[in-house]
Amino acid sequence: MASYSRRRTTNIVALSLAGAATFIGLFFLAAILVTLVVYGASAITPKIFLQNTPPPGSDGGLLNAIFGSVAMTVIAIVVATPIGILAGTYLAEYSRGSKLGEVAKFINDILLSAPSIIIGLFIYTILVVPFGHFSAWAGAASLGLIALPVINRTTQDMLGLVPNALREAAAALGTPRWKTMTHVIYRAASSGILTGVLLAVARITGETAPLLFTALNNQFWSTDLSRPTANLPVVIFQFAMSPYEDWQRLAWGGALIITAAILVLNIAARFLSNIGASK
Amino acid sequence: MNDLAHSSAILGGRTTMTHDTRPAKMETKNLRFYYGDTLALKGITLALGDRKVTAFIGPSGCGKSTLLRVLNRIYDLYPNQRAEGEVLLDGRNILDRSQDLNLLRTRVGMVFQKPTPFPMSIYENIAFGVRLYERVSKAEMDNRVEEALRRAALWSEVKDKLNASGLSLSGGQQQRLCIARTVAVKPEVILLDEPASALDPISTSKIEELIDELKTEYTIVIVTHNMQQAARVSDHTAFMYLGELVEFGDTEQIFTAPRDKRTQDYITGRFG
Repeated sequence: MASYSRRRTTNIVALSLAGAATFIGLFFLAAILVTLVVYGASAITPKIFLQNTPPPGSDGGLLNAIFGSVAMTVIAIVVATPIGILAGTYLAEYSRGSKLGEVAKFINDILLSAPSIIIGLFIYTILVVPFGHFSAWAGAASLGLIALPVINRTTQDMLGLVPNALREAAAALGTPRWKTMTHVIYRAASSGILTGVLLAVARITGETAPLLFTALNNQFWSTDLSRPTANLPVVIFQFAMSPYEDWQRLAWGGALIITAAILVLNIAARFLSNIGASK
Repeated sequence: MNDLAHSSAILGGRTTMTHDTRPAKMETKNLRFYYGDTLALKGITLALGDRKVTAFIGPSGCGKSTLLRVLNRIYDLYPNQRAEGEVLLDGRNILDRSQDLNLLRTRVGMVFQKPTPFPMSIYENIAFGVRLYERVSKAEMDNRVEEALRRAALWSEVKDKLNASGLSLSGGQQQRLCIARTVAVKPEVILLDEPASALDPISTSKIEELIDELKTEYTIVIVTHNMQQAARVSDHTAFMYLGELVEFGDTEQIFTAPRDKRTQDYITGRFG
């Protein structure tokens, strides 16, 4: 009887602690979102999507920054996705037990948690200094380098979740290994891998530090990817720190746009993995 | 070939005859199997009658599934597993280095304990295997799919939803889909690894009826924990214990007059 009431007490204490922790986490998340909406909503007008970043005191929007962010993200993901998926496939399926595979996995995990500013500095030394100027290409490269280990790792994890029974079943029909991968295993893991790519997009959408060293910023509309290029995170950083009220308002608007985009991506990722789970 | 007409397994001086009029389809000779350094099969010698059903029984860990997994070399997917000795398929040693594994597996099909439908439609689940080694027209493929599903007693249940995902079927239906998939590529031997252990009694009896029908054309080997099942479906039974083949003979003899004390203890439920 004593041990029963003890268990009950322990349960109540543990449950309250867990509840409190959840509340703290959710409270700050809600506070951030509410603040963003309160300050940012007024800046969300058609103009913000139609005009370029203005000089202080005049009307403008964030068109050039949105374009720069989208362009760099797309380039980064288009390059990082196939490399990440192929590397993840090798590490999950083909390198089992090999020293090279273990080392590569370990290094990938380090890269996964590397501070993004280090990656920005690295790209700065190899793609900005030699060319003498900042560029969207360098920005895309640093974002790609951040996305790559995320995609690699989720691909490994998702392939690891595919039961060996499925590999055996395909092999038992006389299926060559490559065909087992492309026709059966990828199909079984597809929604998980796609979720990983979306999470990588969400991750790089908000990165600021690496872009400060690579794409920098640009006041004007520019589609030349070898020029310095405006992007939302750096514009937010610059405008939010400025003393001008209209710049600060645009920064709030930009922050809201990024947050909404990340939210949509995360919901899409969750939706996709639910489809995968019920398939 | 005549000496094979009475396929035999020699065990500790005793000879167990299987009264078979055809030569053995597969034979193992002094087969030893290793998981890393662990010896899991300690010299197995037995013969599988052509178009007969052979059951492997024995307590968990006795090596019956391991033995089954040698017959199509599926163990080869894992780097630290290896087999020594001889496994003959129509007289040719399949453990030979020159053996093409994919071709071997088209001749020796396998159905697993848990249903493993591929993440694709019911139709594609079957067409996938056929397409691997044959080029067939759309109409012919339709026939192959229907024929395979009919043989697996699944056709009437799925004929209106061939494009539905294989994963949408019930467990028993999924297992019959897996059998259909195996049959569709026209193997010569079918290995069944506890095919009904995850299924309800009705699905189980359907699978057992199926085995009875399939044995007119295929050599079948079934691993089972269920002794009634072994007694019902098989012509020959091998009792294994601790990696050794203890007794091998006609199913009726094994279940009514076992020669070895251990076999008797096992089938009467004294251990296992």
